[in-house]
Amino acid sequence: MKGIVFTEFLDLVEEKFGIEMVDKIISESNLESEGAYTSIGTYRFSEMLQLLQSLHKNSGISIDKLLLTYGEHFFSVIDKSYSGLLATYKDPIEMLSSIENHIHVEVKKIYPDAELPEFVVEEKTEDSLILIYKSSRAMHHFGLGLMNKTFEHFNSSATIVLEKIKEDGTEVKFVIKKNPHESREN
Amino acid sequence: MNLEKIEILERTLKRERAARKAAEKILEDKSRELYLLSEELQETNLKLENLLDEKSSELKGVFENILDAYVVMDLSGNVLKFNDAATALFGYDVTKEKLNVLNLIYEEDEVYAMTSFGELKTKGFFKNYEARVITKSKEIKWVHINASIIFDRNNLPIAAQGIVRDITHLKLLEEQKKQILNKLEKSNEELYEYAHVVSHDLKSPLRTIDALLSWIKADNLEKFDSETVQNIELIEKTVENMDSLISDILSYSSADFAAEEVDVNLNKVLQNIKTTLFIPTNITLSISPNLPIVKGDSTKFQQLFQNLISNAIKFNDKEEGLIEIDFIEEPTFYQFSVKDNGLGIEKEFHEKIFKVFQSLTKREDSTGIGLSIVKKIVDLYKGNIWLESTPNVGTTFYFTIKK
Repeated sequence: MKGIVFTEFLDLVEEKFGIEMVDKIISESNLESEGAYTSIGTYRFSEMLQLLQSLHKNSGISIDKLLLTYGEHFFSVIDKSYSGLLATYKDPIEMLSSIENHIHVEVKKIYPDAELPEFVVEEKTEDSLILIYKSSRAMHHFGLGLMNKTFEHFNSSATIVLEKIKEDGTEVKFVIKKNPHESREN
Repeated sequence: MNLEKIEILERTLKRERAARKAAEKILEDKSRELYLLSEELQETNLKLENLLDEKSSELKGVFENILDAYVVMDLSGNVLKFNDAATALFGYDVTKEKLNVLNLIYEEDEVYAMTSFGELKTKGFFKNYEARVITKSKEIKWVHINASIIFDRNNLPIAAQGIVRDITHLKLLEEQKKQILNKLEKSNEELYEYAHVVSHDLKSPLRTIDALLSWIKADNLEKFDSETVQNIELIEKTVENMDSLISDILSYSSADFAAEEVDVNLNKVLQNIKTTLFIPTNITLSISPNLPIVKGDSTKFQQLFQNLISNAIKFNDKEEGLIEIDFIEEPTFYQFSVKDNGLGIEKEFHEKIFKVFQSLTKREDSTGIGLSIVKKIVDLYKGNIWLESTPNVGTTFYFTIKK
């Protein structure tokens, strides 16, 4: 897993829970990297799992909720570093349906060894989208967080329903419905 | 700050340091990798540049050294480049003046030129274009052009190039050749007519002499002594020879006039010869059965075989003379042979005998034209003739007739 996922995660933990929490979850975990992460490094996914577990135990917040918040935070990282890429889109549905064929292609150019989840477009209309998420990491709520922020980025909102196709969350259906313009303003 | 907090910060600091060092190492490795990669790229670039220089120099050499004119133009026909030969041919210096190839086209060839130009654009090339051009000095020249489109790296047409050969001289020669051939044909015809008339005119006084001689002989049979009679007979013989000489010359002059081609059954031709030709009893003429059917003029084939066979009879000195006619079939021609066991011919004469009036013996019954006629007929049917001979043993004439 790319180092930026770890560094951003720990930054967010520090911001929300304080530096003590960061120290705690690192100390409690058995990490090969010993918690010394750099954004340009690559680390085992199991380290992320342990950190999440530990944070969940110490904060009492569910892993899905943690990932959702982290996903929402991570969008700002993307917005800061790759605003050019985001600027090529004018519509959140367009952008989300292009994850597989455009965004991930660009990611691969910068991180050739990145292991990315699959987002298959199953159905698409002007204001709705059904995506199938497939990943052994089962980080669907991280994806959900990113999606929420995507709509926000385009000054709109959406109702996104998650249906687990596989119980372990490695295959999930996202049913995305863009909210009518007025409702957001009310 | 309590102790715990200090310890936390220390651990954090330690991690940050370790992370920094890891990052530095990653970056260092990356930059080394990049450095090596760029070295490699530079080397490849250098190689490519060298290759490009080499190829450019090669092309420049071709451009300058080629004897034909070389023209590069854009897709609308504006000339971009002329080599020296092109400048010399067309008379324009394209480095100093603008030129469009359309201005070079000779008016009568315009449709053909535009069709070829269209072909160049659709097919990407044209070959063997032959037409006239007008040079700067208003001279008309014949040119042969092969042209093709030049494509860029995306396979889009960007220009066209052509190799232009000046064939004015060649065309002139071709025209001259045609004229000469026409003239030759006409004069040949005239000659044949002439030979016909002359032979007729020559033969009639001969017939008169012959008639007068026989009258003189009849009227004076008792008055003449035996010597005079013998002399008169000699005159008669000479007149007879002269007559056959005239006939032979006539048939020689007509030997290369082909009549309409029909199927000729050579078995019939040879049977005909066998019955009409005088064959002494001591000579056996054996003819291969199943001779082929050939295309041509039957009287020509009769003449051909008859001359060879009568030669073989004439020059046979053996008690039991033998003449054999045979043939073999090859994919594109037939090869015939006429073999005898006669006098034979010395090697040094093998060429000479086919020339007109070249009789090897001073025989009264030999005019020296027979083999020349044979040669002419074989030539007419695009064949060859040659012989193998051993003096005193015999001769075999071989000739081929194209299928």
